[in-house]
Amino acid sequence: MSEFEPNIVAFLCNWCSYAGADLTGTTRTHYPPTVKVIRVMCTGRVNPLFVLQALRQGADGVLISGCHPGECHYLKGNFLARRRFLLMKNLLEYIGINPSRIRMSWVSASEGKKFADVITEVTEDIKKLGPLKSFKREIL
Amino acid sequence: MSKTRVGVYICHCGVNIKSTVDVTKLTEFASKLPHVSVAKDYIYLCSDPGQELIKNDINEFNLNRIVVAACSPRMHEPTFRKALRSAGINPYCLEIANIREHCSWVHEDIEKATKKAESILAATVAKASLLEPLEEKEVDVIPTALVLGGGIAGIQAALDIADTGFKVYLVEKDPSIGGHMMQLDKTFPTLDCSACILTPKMSDVGNHPNIELLTYSEITNVGGYVGNFKVTIKKKPRYIIEDKCNGCGNCISYCPIEMPDPFNLNLSKTKCLYIPFPQAVPACFVIDPDYCRYTLNRECKQCEPVCKELGAIDLKQKEQFIEVDVGTIIVATGFDTFDPTLKPELGYGLYPNVITGLEFERLSSASGPTTGDVMINGKKPKNVVFIHCVGSRDKTVGNEYCSRVCCMYTAKQAHLIKDKIPDAKVTVFYIDVRAFGKGFEEFYDRVKQEGIIYRRGNVAEVYKRGEKLVVKAEDTLLGQLVEVETDLVVLAVGMVPRADSNTVNNLLKLSQSSDKFLLEAHPKLRPVDTASDGIFLAGCCQGPKDIPDTVAQASAAASKACIPLSQGKVRTEAQVAQVNDLLCRGCGFCVEVCPYDAIELKPTVIAGETVDVASVNEVLCKGCGACVAACLSGAIQQKSFTDEQLLSMIASLGESYE
Amino acid sequence: MSEEAERLAYILRDPLFPCIQCGKCTGSCPISVISPHFNIRKLLYEILNSEGEDIAQKKEMLWDCSTCTTCVVRCPKEVDPADLIISMRSVLVEDGQVPPKIRDVLKSISIRGNPWNIGQEKRSEWAEGLEIKSIADAEILYYVGCTVAFDPRLQKIAKALAKTLAKAGINFGTLGNDEVCCGNEIRRMGDIWSFDALKEMNIEMFKQFPIKQIITSSPHCYNTFKNEYTELGIEVKHYTQIIPDLIKKKKLSFSKKFEKTVTYHDPCFLGRQNQIFDEPRDILKSIPSLNFVEMDRTRERALCCEGGGGRMWIEAYETMERTATIRVKEALDCGAEILATACPFCLLTLEDAVKSGELEDKIQILDIVEIVSQVID
Repeated sequence: MSEFEPNIVAFLCNWCSYAGADLTGTTRTHYPPTVKVIRVMCTGRVNPLFVLQALRQGADGVLISGCHPGECHYLKGNFLARRRFLLMKNLLEYIGINPSRIRMSWVSASEGKKFADVITEVTEDIKKLGPLKSFKREIL
Repeated sequence: MSKTRVGVYICHCGVNIKSTVDVTKLTEFASKLPHVSVAKDYIYLCSDPGQELIKNDINEFNLNRIVVAACSPRMHEPTFRKALRSAGINPYCLEIANIREHCSWVHEDIEKATKKAESILAATVAKASLLEPLEEKEVDVIPTALVLGGGIAGIQAALDIADTGFKVYLVEKDPSIGGHMMQLDKTFPTLDCSACILTPKMSDVGNHPNIELLTYSEITNVGGYVGNFKVTIKKKPRYIIEDKCNGCGNCISYCPIEMPDPFNLNLSKTKCLYIPFPQAVPACFVIDPDYCRYTLNRECKQCEPVCKELGAIDLKQKEQFIEVDVGTIIVATGFDTFDPTLKPELGYGLYPNVITGLEFERLSSASGPTTGDVMINGKKPKNVVFIHCVGSRDKTVGNEYCSRVCCMYTAKQAHLIKDKIPDAKVTVFYIDVRAFGKGFEEFYDRVKQEGIIYRRGNVAEVYKRGEKLVVKAEDTLLGQLVEVETDLVVLAVGMVPRADSNTVNNLLKLSQSSDKFLLEAHPKLRPVDTASDGIFLAGCCQGPKDIPDTVAQASAAASKACIPLSQGKVRTEAQVAQVNDLLCRGCGFCVEVCPYDAIELKPTVIAGETVDVASVNEVLCKGCGACVAACLSGAIQQKSFTDEQLLSMIASLGESYE
Repeated sequence: MSEEAERLAYILRDPLFPCIQCGKCTGSCPISVISPHFNIRKLLYEILNSEGEDIAQKKEMLWDCSTCTTCVVRCPKEVDPADLIISMRSVLVEDGQVPPKIRDVLKSISIRGNPWNIGQEKRSEWAEGLEIKSIADAEILYYVGCTVAFDPRLQKIAKALAKTLAKAGINFGTLGNDEVCCGNEIRRMGDIWSFDALKEMNIEMFKQFPIKQIITSSPHCYNTFKNEYTELGIEVKHYTQIIPDLIKKKKLSFSKKFEKTVTYHDPCFLGRQNQIFDEPRDILKSIPSLNFVEMDRTRERALCCEGGGGRMWIEAYETMERTATIRVKEALDCGAEILATACPFCLLTLEDAVKSGELEDKIQILDIVEIVSQVID
């Protein structure tokens, strides 16, 4: 069997990280094909349920990426996201899932290179953790 | 609603997508996805024939949802929405799968990239089949613009908008408009007198019936959205009543306090009751509260009685807050010059005869502290060294960019030295000479012809030897160290973003590019737009540029800002939040998280009982979705980003790897 | 040439590509002033345009560099010419093509654990008659350093620092004769293999004791512990960093006056490379009656004394004047009677310059801690 390729779902905000990911493409910076992007207008839109469902339905890791603190297009959405994210980490730990499977990052519209770096890092991290098996849908 | 019929269109983007993603395989994969009635690939979907293809299929196959797998939705979503509208279906029944920026351009392995494109596409189709048609509302545009910054960019933009027939508020933080251009002596490459070409425009601004000039003012709050911005402006007290002051200046001699003259970059003194420069607009005096003995200690007051007749002096003036409603905003906040103390090896701040290029402009200007004689310690310099690229192209100070004006302003200043002191020896140390503009190379040739020595080398150090300064560098063309003794060193400092730019950027929610200048919406095709609708950029706040480029950009920004003003209407965000009254439990969590105060709890009759139910003001809602994530009962949903739609994508992405 | 050396020579080029040949490095280079053949920009250009295998062999001037890093901190494109020099030297070291004096140093390190070819039993000679604890009985390690420990002139620094620390009530100890070289200079001479061995040996040794903090008298030892011993995990301070605090907390007080005009020479490894500019000046300025003056070139602009990067042991390939001589002149120009510094290498090179210029009656070179120990009784 070939090497484990993790399946990672990324929620990117439209204004910073999605645009940053676009810039990564425009500048032809390469990164592993492990991440699939769901565009939301703001990371504040990311419901904790989305993270749980992603992990439950086959993702090995989840990335949430938005504007840098203080630079949110909607003023404070990324702060809401960060607060929810910390709670999510606690919850995952509580239900026995390594909280390192979820990650939050700040990537601005001008940080194409950083986006590629983040994806490469997340991919490496999740590879080390291996496939997520303990959280099949029958458990919930 | 009728049965869901999805059409999937896959773009080759020439070879941009096709070379990494197997489009034939992808099309075949798409045709088997649920609800898909037709799947096709095409070389350039954004082309007219590409759009025609989609439009024809909509009619032929009776499609009601369209998925386009192509470049980023940030590129062509508007294009395809228009195509849908013209084919008679709701433009919001479109979803874009980004298989270029997020797939073909960032991966190399065709098999893996194709597989990833498949899962992106499947998730997009899953969401698309759940999309609902949306309605766009239109609101009236307030036919007024606000221009922030009264340098040449702001002046030009304000004049253009005002001449088009709209009212403009021009807000300037200093007591007079004019900006950096007013401080310059001559301009390259034509050697026009900077003030002479600027002051007519300044007086046009002062006299224009459509321009309301707010000098010595700053914005403190910005609310609203394109067409309906509400801006709060703080008018700092100038302790002179603008309408009453006629600029006669009788008061000056009575003011006992001297302070460094900011217009002359502290190279000379002025009274603390002063007019920035003779041609100031408005021609009104100002009192600096940091120096005035009355504002500091409540003593003195010697000026007040002098102006008895006009009664223009009011030492008790307080700051004022003004609220204005405008349809569009132009940001023209300009630049600061690089602070050369960050390059300690060049000795700025240590040796008084090391000066910046802008300081040289004041020394050279007839309106400057030496009335145009270039003098250092009361003597005319015999040897002058210019140093290029100070604070530009330099990672040690975090400025990687070229400031674009320094090569030419140095050439001009070298010429001015030769003009004023013909026997002076002038040496310019450069790394590269970038003479790229109209007339620039010719001017560079002319300056060299005048006997100015250009030596290639990035100056390493400036130090003292007796009375003289020594400039040490490697002349890289000789491959030798050289020491040039000199009386005056002029540093060609570059441009940096305004020190206080973060305040303005945060108020207007503007992003910066990695050089910390303001980020345009698209580097090539939307160079004066920002990511915020209705806010435009002009001049050096967006990046270093010379006067012609600034004026051109200002006119561009003005015409862009006039579009909504002339149309009179703008469409509001359609992808707003929506409440299902029956599910809402009235907890108010959504009200708390909404950054725009767009949600309130309203008593509503549900099943015969009056209960609190959240209600969204669709004009205020910007569609961020924070309320949706906060809602515990799923009662509030963001149109086109509903829980159901996003969960369908999540499920699809998960399954694709099971 | 071995394959390994070839590989090393080849990989040098990659980080050099951003170079725009502006000449800031050569212009800033203190060695280029005295040794015109040493042109780092040109060397960089030659390497960029060569195939990379044997260029190191042709460059006698490689040993001229004092690794002061003026070129590194000023390069507008973040190229690291000093690292290039070190890598090229390492090619020569691996190949055994080193000047005899450098070879002796490297040999002494491997045999005796110090570069001076002196028996380790002499290492704590300076402490004779003083009651210096072993680190086993103390919590703060005073790492003396080879040159300070063995050089009769520099032993005064160790004595002065020990006296000062004791006076301030600091519970310090040394490794005695077990101390081995920190490797800072060895690494800069290109012997990266011996450096790794020394680093491992030192960390192993430090771990045997519950050391809370390491204090060094040499900025060179300080630099390598702080920046290159990445696995160390112990706080490292140069002594000039702790004395101002001791003065502030009144653990040190000066009972005597020092009625001299003093200027200060910034050692490269303290100032330029570790941004310690203010602390040494704060110490001098707090000494009663001391008249502190600055030279024209100070802080980031200070001129290197040529003592680093192996230059303690080898002369420049072709040289006109010593930079230390220029530096002493600058000190005299600003009216100083004492040229103070805080580095044993600087002290030796500057003192040499004073002697060769027969300026002993005009100016004296002292380490800051020597002045401090004179004003505490």
